[in-house]
Amino acid sequence: MAAITTAGASTTATDSRPVAARTTEAVKEYGKGDAMVRALDGITVAFGKGQFSAIMGPSGSGKSTLLHCVAGLDRLTSGSIHIGDIELGSLNDRQLTMLRRVRVGFIFQSFNLVPTLSALDNIVLPLTIAGRKPDPAALAEIVRITGLADRLKHRPNQLSGGQQQRVAAARALASRPEIIFADEPTGNLDSRASTDLLDFLRHAVTELGQTIIMVTHDPLAASHADRVVFLADGRVVSEMQSPTADTVLDVMRHLGD
Amino acid sequence: MIGISLRSLLSHKLRLALTTIAVILGVSFVAGTFILTDTINATFTSIFATANAGVAVTVHGRPIAGQSGGVGGGQNHPIPTSLLATVRAVPGVKDAVGSLFREGATLIGHDGKPIGGNGPPTFGANWITDSAISPYRLRGGAAPTQPNDVVVDAGTAAKNGLTVGQSLPIVFLGGVEEHFTITGVAGYGTSDNLAGATIALFTDSTAQRVLEGQDKYDSILVSAQSGVTDVVLREHIAAALPTYAVAETGQQAAAAAEQSTESTISTFIGTPLLVFAFISLFVGSFLIINTFNILVAQRTRELALLRALGATRAQVMTSVLVEAAVTGFVASILGFVVGILIARALLSVFGSASTGGVTLLPRTVIIAVLVGTIVTVIAASLPARRATRIAPVAALAEALPETQPLPRRRVAIGLIIFVLGCAALVTGLFTSAGSKLQLIGAGFLCVFLGVALLAPVLVVPVAMVLGWPVAQIRGAPGILAGQNARRNPRRTALTAAALMIGLALVTCVAVITDSVRVSTNDAIEGAFRADFIVFTQGPDFNTQAAQALQQDPSLRDVTEVRGTSVIIKGSSQGIAAIDPANLGSVLSLSMVSGTASAIASTNTAIVDSTEATASGVRIGQVVTFDFPQGANVPIRIGGIYTANALVSGYVVSLATMAPNVPTERDAIVLANAANGGSLSQAETALHHDVKAFPLLMAMSRSEYRTFVGASLDSFLNLIYTLLAFAIIIAVLGIANTLILSVLERTREIGLLRALGMTRSQTRSMVRWESVIISLLGAVLGLAVGLGLGVAVSGSLGALGITEIAVPGQNLIVYAIIAGVFGVVAAIFPTIRASRVDILRAITTE
Ligand SMILES: Nc1ncnc2c1ncn2[C@@H]1O[C@H](COP(=O)(O)OP(=O)(O)OP(=O)(O)O)[C@@H](O)[C@H]1O
Ligand SMILES: [Mg+2]
Repeated sequence: MAAITTAGASTTATDSRPVAARTTEAVKEYGKGDAMVRALDGITVAFGKGQFSAIMGPSGSGKSTLLHCVAGLDRLTSGSIHIGDIELGSLNDRQLTMLRRVRVGFIFQSFNLVPTLSALDNIVLPLTIAGRKPDPAALAEIVRITGLADRLKHRPNQLSGGQQQRVAAARALASRPEIIFADEPTGNLDSRASTDLLDFLRHAVTELGQTIIMVTHDPLAASHADRVVFLADGRVVSEMQSPTADTVLDVMRHLGD
Repeated sequence: MIGISLRSLLSHKLRLALTTIAVILGVSFVAGTFILTDTINATFTSIFATANAGVAVTVHGRPIAGQSGGVGGGQNHPIPTSLLATVRAVPGVKDAVGSLFREGATLIGHDGKPIGGNGPPTFGANWITDSAISPYRLRGGAAPTQPNDVVVDAGTAAKNGLTVGQSLPIVFLGGVEEHFTITGVAGYGTSDNLAGATIALFTDSTAQRVLEGQDKYDSILVSAQSGVTDVVLREHIAAALPTYAVAETGQQAAAAAEQSTESTISTFIGTPLLVFAFISLFVGSFLIINTFNILVAQRTRELALLRALGATRAQVMTSVLVEAAVTGFVASILGFVVGILIARALLSVFGSASTGGVTLLPRTVIIAVLVGTIVTVIAASLPARRATRIAPVAALAEALPETQPLPRRRVAIGLIIFVLGCAALVTGLFTSAGSKLQLIGAGFLCVFLGVALLAPVLVVPVAMVLGWPVAQIRGAPGILAGQNARRNPRRTALTAAALMIGLALVTCVAVITDSVRVSTNDAIEGAFRADFIVFTQGPDFNTQAAQALQQDPSLRDVTEVRGTSVIIKGSSQGIAAIDPANLGSVLSLSMVSGTASAIASTNTAIVDSTEATASGVRIGQVVTFDFPQGANVPIRIGGIYTANALVSGYVVSLATMAPNVPTERDAIVLANAANGGSLSQAETALHHDVKAFPLLMAMSRSEYRTFVGASLDSFLNLIYTLLAFAIIIAVLGIANTLILSVLERTREIGLLRALGMTRSQTRSMVRWESVIISLLGAVLGLAVGLGLGVAVSGSLGALGITEIAVPGQNLIVYAIIAGVFGVVAAIFPTIRASRVDILRAITTE
């Protein structure tokens, strides 16, 4: 059932789903001259709407860079990125900010929350920044499924790492973004907390039709996704539909050579 | 360890730059004050030395009663011209000349206005013909020989375009213009003039006439025959003198003159400036404490790592203190250099005759460097102590919780200091002991310290209240601004406290001046019945004006009010004299007991109730007035009245005062419009009459009220200027705290930007935090300043403050200005915050 395609093969959407975000010949270079690093080396990839995509690859392969560029946190050196119909390269800082505010949600590996705000305030923060009011019913639903009901008044430093990540996930969902980007969201969590968070993300995709793009090192985490894209040296080297921990591990070992 | 602290110093350049600026500003003010006064003193020293070069012995009268101990030397007993012959006859005397040198000869410039305005003194003197003795050196033209000849000092001549041969109007003692011809221009010793004062030189007889010194001199200057020493000659002369005169060697006289100018300069320039300089330093120390506190907090992991690697607490303490000492030292040196520039700028404002150089005494360098370094080290010692308490495990901790609970002990200490400060202040205000000023100063200091220690308690509630509207207006940035302002109450409190001090002092002075204004207005409305007042801003004026006004049929009740100082029960006191016949028509005193007209009988006084209570005087009692003219006069108390802002203390009749003072000078002249004539007609006539007296001003009651208000305003402006340093430092402090906070919160700001906060929202967040901090400072400052102002005004009842006024409008303006300062302080921090690199912020570990 795991369909392994080789690098350079069609990496556009492998099914007929509408596309949430796509990159075309994305190149990102850091530094100049001898010190120049090509973090992304011509990546063309598409992420389907309502799909849970994982990005994997060895350390330094450009996973975070790709995520940051697609999420509008960073700009490409060449190539293009679309979120929906919008080409990010043509946006100025303010427009990019608005895009992040309205269309995108984030879960980072650590330091996700504003320390002065309560869990609830953190959850609604993107809405507050946008000057919008949260929909109470939707908010209650998110709080319920994240299991944070009795922690809402707590400050981040009063929450465990797993709870903090769940608050971040709730926040990412609360503004109903088109895409949620997660960079190693389970990186600092133990297996129990990881599973909770991943179940929650899976649930969001299945029940709410949320699109999620997640960078991870953990094959088990990747197995929650619908599809895995493998990067190495800034290129897409492989991809897989309906991954399991074992099949992912296989590819990883293969890439490690 | 010292190497480490030096390296850390260099790696935090930006953070330390602001601390350095605070120290520089404070130290430069201190150094500038010393340099300024030293330079002025040195100028006078050299003037006196060269001017007195040919004088072996000086003879002058003893200080007369009631005037002794006055600032700048008191009035001395005059020397009759006949004494000149006595001195000349003393063996060893080569020549002796009389010198008359008095204030009150005002030159009128080409524009018809008095030269020098109300600034430096205007001296008149007799030309001394013996050039070996004379301090005056002819630079051009000739000595005065005719009654209408005058020689002017070279400085004044050059500045005002006065030339030999021209006609020059001169006003004596506030009288009418007289016309003289300039025959020459002279220097005073080797300098152009006497540090900005004007000097007009006349023949002996003219000088004696115009300066009201008929047949008198102020001193006799003596030169010695060769072979006779000054000391010996002085002894010979002293033996020949009557008891009212004393002889000093030329050197002694120069030293005495020098000392008296030095004490005048330090009283009127040095001490007030130093007070404000130390206020600036005090405010600066808050900034220093805050900077080092934040540096220590930011270096917690580094310091903990050092501790984990075996550094002792003492070593950690030393590393922070060395950093402070180096910063303080470097900043002090820079401050000293800036001080030189400030002194130069001020010298050109004062229009001093100095040659352009400034006097740099080693003492100034030492004080500047010591004060700057010590203040910095002391301020940094609190943060240094905190640094020693960092546990080695902190090196391993992920992040420090930013908010620490406020220890109860600190609140208790703050309360105790605050209460002690209030006690010292109140005691100081209402005591008449010699330690009055020290107590008041200590009171202010302790009140400020106490409030600064208590302020963290107030930060959370006040920031919540101030933050609420901001959150409503600004949304997320507003909410976060409020949160950020409260997240570290101590830091916010310390930052706000620095602004609090400046604003509290401004508010305090504003309350006092407004109380004076309102009380004076009340007095002008209530106690002041006259339609018109004539006065001058210089010394008292002669009686010519009153005489002229008395001739005017449009006016009636023309009343002279005179003043002098007398010694009553051992202390010098100003008393007023007025014509009892007109008293009721120009003043209405509210009497507690007796009647105001009691002063009509000779040697009877009325006194205000505050003074009566203070000195235990009752109606009917007899007190002795020790008048300038030597007489101990028994004066009966005929009534007690309520003081107001215009009249306070003892009041007697003109007839009682006249025989006991050397000259008749009016302080003010009051008048009413004649019966039947209109007020405006009388006013026109009055203005016409007064035109002949260029130094005098004539005003109606309402004009006078405006005038008093305006002079209070200019006083207030002076205080604003002097406090500007302290307030600039406080604003720098806010900028400093915010920059450091922004650096500390880089990740958080990056996160917010990732989540969709625009650059302008980010700026707005920092800006509003700054405004909240400033407004917190304003709230504290206005509250404390109001308390202090009310306390001080309340204690000035004896000076006629009958009503305590709160200038609400000013206070609102101060609060708004504080808010604006917040915006200004935030300029750099907002730029920094909006430039935070999102990726760097969210990917840094
Ligand atoms: N700001 C930067 N400046 C220079 N080089 C960078 C920068 N950010 C990333 N790189 C380089 O780009 C390459 C890709 O980095 P990236 O962070 O995307 O890798 P990654 O796949 O996320 O690795 P990891 O699994 O370790 O997080 C690396 O070689 C890295 O050194
Ligand atoms: Mg990464």
